[in-house]
Amino acid sequence: MVPLIQMTEVSKVFADGFVALADITIEIPKGEFAFVVGPSGAGKSTLIKLLFREDVPTSGRIIVNGRDLASLSPLDVPYFRRSLGIVFQDFRLLPDKNAYENVAFAMRVIEASRRDIQRRVKFVLDLVGLLPKARIYPAQLSGGEQQRVAIARAIVNNPSVVIADEPTGNLDPDNSWEIMKIFERINKVGTTILMATHDKPIVDQMMKRVIAIENGRIVRDESRGAYGYED
Amino acid sequence: MKISTIEYFVTESISSMRRNSLMSVASLVTVALSLLILGLFVILVMNLTHMATTLESQVQISVYLQDELKELEVREIGTRITKLPGVTKVTFVGKAEALTRFKQRLGEQQGLLAALGDSNPLPNAFEVRVDKPERVKQVATAASQIKGVETTRFGQEVVEQLFNLTKTIRIFGLVLIVFLGLAALFIIVNTIRITVFARRREINIMKYVGATDWFIRWPFLIEGMLLGFVGALISVLILTQIYSMATAQIYETLAFLPLIPKYPFIHYVDVFILVVGTLIGAMGSFISVKKFLKV
Repeated sequence: MVPLIQMTEVSKVFADGFVALADITIEIPKGEFAFVVGPSGAGKSTLIKLLFREDVPTSGRIIVNGRDLASLSPLDVPYFRRSLGIVFQDFRLLPDKNAYENVAFAMRVIEASRRDIQRRVKFVLDLVGLLPKARIYPAQLSGGEQQRVAIARAIVNNPSVVIADEPTGNLDPDNSWEIMKIFERINKVGTTILMATHDKPIVDQMMKRVIAIENGRIVRDESRGAYGYED
Repeated sequence: MKISTIEYFVTESISSMRRNSLMSVASLVTVALSLLILGLFVILVMNLTHMATTLESQVQISVYLQDELKELEVREIGTRITKLPGVTKVTFVGKAEALTRFKQRLGEQQGLLAALGDSNPLPNAFEVRVDKPERVKQVATAASQIKGVETTRFGQEVVEQLFNLTKTIRIFGLVLIVFLGLAALFIIVNTIRITVFARRREINIMKYVGATDWFIRWPFLIEGMLLGFVGALISVLILTQIYSMATAQIYETLAFLPLIPKYPFIHYVDVFILVVGTLIGAMGSFISVKKFLKV
């Protein structure tokens, strides 16, 4: 079976000569839950940026969802991104839109019908346990709740893979666990999840695949791994 | 594109203008003023051109004859002029009639002519009209070569001066129009840039969830086009008013000036200004959004 994410000998060298990623080869099959761990500046964020085509590699090949990102024209990028869900450490919600509107927004930009939007947004808000707070604005929501809205937004368009960059980085342990339970639930229904994280307790307890990166290289790739750093 | 999407674009751009009302008003005023001046120049230049063309087509050639020609010779010259290509009308003005006209023109000062006594220094002449203004010079030259013709004269100085004036004003106006157009563009670019900047997070998120560049661009384009259009509308209303007043005034006091009639001329100018305003608005937005789309 063709893996959902396939990176082959991918390197990224910045204009100033800094090697952010060197010779990265990863295969992530459909339905997998994988952590990307490593110290700050190891290249995790760069890897994630390459996956949703915010940046392009200096060399190597990246195939996501059967699409070779190198052959993707700028006009195709938006359509490619619709097959991904992206979650950030800082939530990135729009402050002047309530929870419902923040999620609906992701469907509106891909011109979904009004009926589909209503039905689907309610469904995903319920999935993350925030349907009762649908009319609340981000400023009145806790960090954990904001991240749940962000996750709802990421999955509302039914992506085949959710890419998360330090999703629990701004949250306390209790909220972090809440978030991880939601990710697990999403993963159980078949969505592939790739998560860059610093959260040792979570990685250790989840016992999922762990890909460790240091200085831009893969130093470890275990199918049921632990965090492996003392920070 | 879906109706609900268009609805979304329009509400987005209107709410954005409301949030940014001071800057929106500033750009409306700038656009209106720039386009008003642009419109005034268009009207001025077109009227001057119209005047020059009208005068030129009315130009007649005076063919003065030598004295002491026999009546037969005069008639012969008349026939030869009539046969010149492009000549439509030839009228004979005899010495006596020329003097009468001259006296009339002098009006109260015709006493001056008393000094002449009984002698009449004015020559016999033909007044010649031609079908096309371009033929005037050619016919005048040809007529002056006929034997018995003393000299020919036509209003070339007046016409040429008018054309020169039009040309100067046109060049000056063009420079000013380009300058004002750029000023209007600049202010719209800045207004929209403020809006775009205020919403850069939103644009960023839109890019991540897979919005196309055009989807992101449209609300800003509509905002810019609305600013340009409404600014143009203000200037069009003022412009129409000014032209009505100006034509009324000129018909009363300087009736001989051939102005372009108000309708439909002013409508053409209005449409032109509205189109230019909207285009400037669209261009301004396009320029501002460009930078923020690179994610």
